[in-house]
Amino acid sequence: MMPKNVPLSKKSKQFLENLRVYLFSTGKKEKEIDEIVEELENHLMQAEKDGKSIEHIIGQSPRAYMEQLASEMPIDLKAWMKYIPMILFGAFSFTVVRDLFEGTLAYSLLEIIGFLIIAILFLTSISLTFRYVAGKNLSTGKQFAILYPVALLPMALFIGLIFLNQHVTTPVISFGMIGTIIIAIVTLIFIIGISIWSKTWVLPIVLTFVSLPDYLLGFTSLTESARLITGTCITFGGIFIYLWISSKLAKA
Amino acid sequence: MSTTQMMKGILDGCILAIIKNKEVYGYELAEKLEGYGFSNFSEGTIYPLLLRMQKEKLVTSTLKKSTAGPKRKYYRLTENGEQELQDFIERWENLQTNVNHVLKHETKKEKEIKHDA
Repeated sequence: MMPKNVPLSKKSKQFLENLRVYLFSTGKKEKEIDEIVEELENHLMQAEKDGKSIEHIIGQSPRAYMEQLASEMPIDLKAWMKYIPMILFGAFSFTVVRDLFEGTLAYSLLEIIGFLIIAILFLTSISLTFRYVAGKNLSTGKQFAILYPVALLPMALFIGLIFLNQHVTTPVISFGMIGTIIIAIVTLIFIIGISIWSKTWVLPIVLTFVSLPDYLLGFTSLTESARLITGTCITFGGIFIYLWISSKLAKA
Repeated sequence: MSTTQMMKGILDGCILAIIKNKEVYGYELAEKLEGYGFSNFSEGTIYPLLLRMQKEKLVTSTLKKSTAGPKRKYYRLTENGEQELQDFIERWENLQTNVNHVLKHETKKEKEIKHDA
């Protein structure tokens, strides 16, 4: 986005690049990031033409200056909203895809009702939180301090549900062959839909690395512990390589 | 209140006064402030202040093409901004009068005491 022919010093260019990354990582609106980076780029260009040092513009600590800017910019709540259905259906699809490899689907009543309650709780709490955060003039740090626990809430509830399901017996509902196929297709459509909508293929790729190695290794003659270790290595290695490649691509 | 906090409030008022007089872009604003003697602050300080003023709807900005080439963001005062400037001027004059009073009387007393001794 930055023109390559700008007669800016390396130090200034580096600062602008760091600023862009910093603001992006703190969840600011892309349009506002572009605007402030461009404005500072203009300022630095003119300042350098007039023989001023970058320290004269941004002070002694670039980090402190970036924080000052960030604290005056609102978090992009719409972008956050994008990740909510992804987290929710993502969590759901992990369970479904794993179980699909094991055969026809069967869930206890507790699991089904529990999931629905968690989904409703999560959607209500997150939308209430967003409304609260958007209405207040909070610092970035405070906004994240409020949003993170709410985003992590379903994770904790899911773990709770899994434990509860092991100790409480409720009627099991079996979906049979046709039911399983329908759920599989719906899940697949969800995964593809979410990927297209959120413009990232992170969900299906992570899903594949989590579910497929275990399944494929089941056909090998490896011992259980060897399968477990190999599977874990492939899962984390694969995800790591994917994230590394996508970060390289994003920079280019 | 630390000096930097006090300074920020004063800078806010000065920025509003400069913008009211004429639409300016960032670099122009920094140059003017320096021209008036605010030389020991880093120029970039104005951008977080401008961002906040925009958030508080005291100023608005428009992108205009400059003769030099790149688009520049020009700042203009809103009605709220004009009101805030009036309030600042009142606060400042009040403060200035009070401080002057204190300094005039108290430092005179001090001199008298010294004289007596």
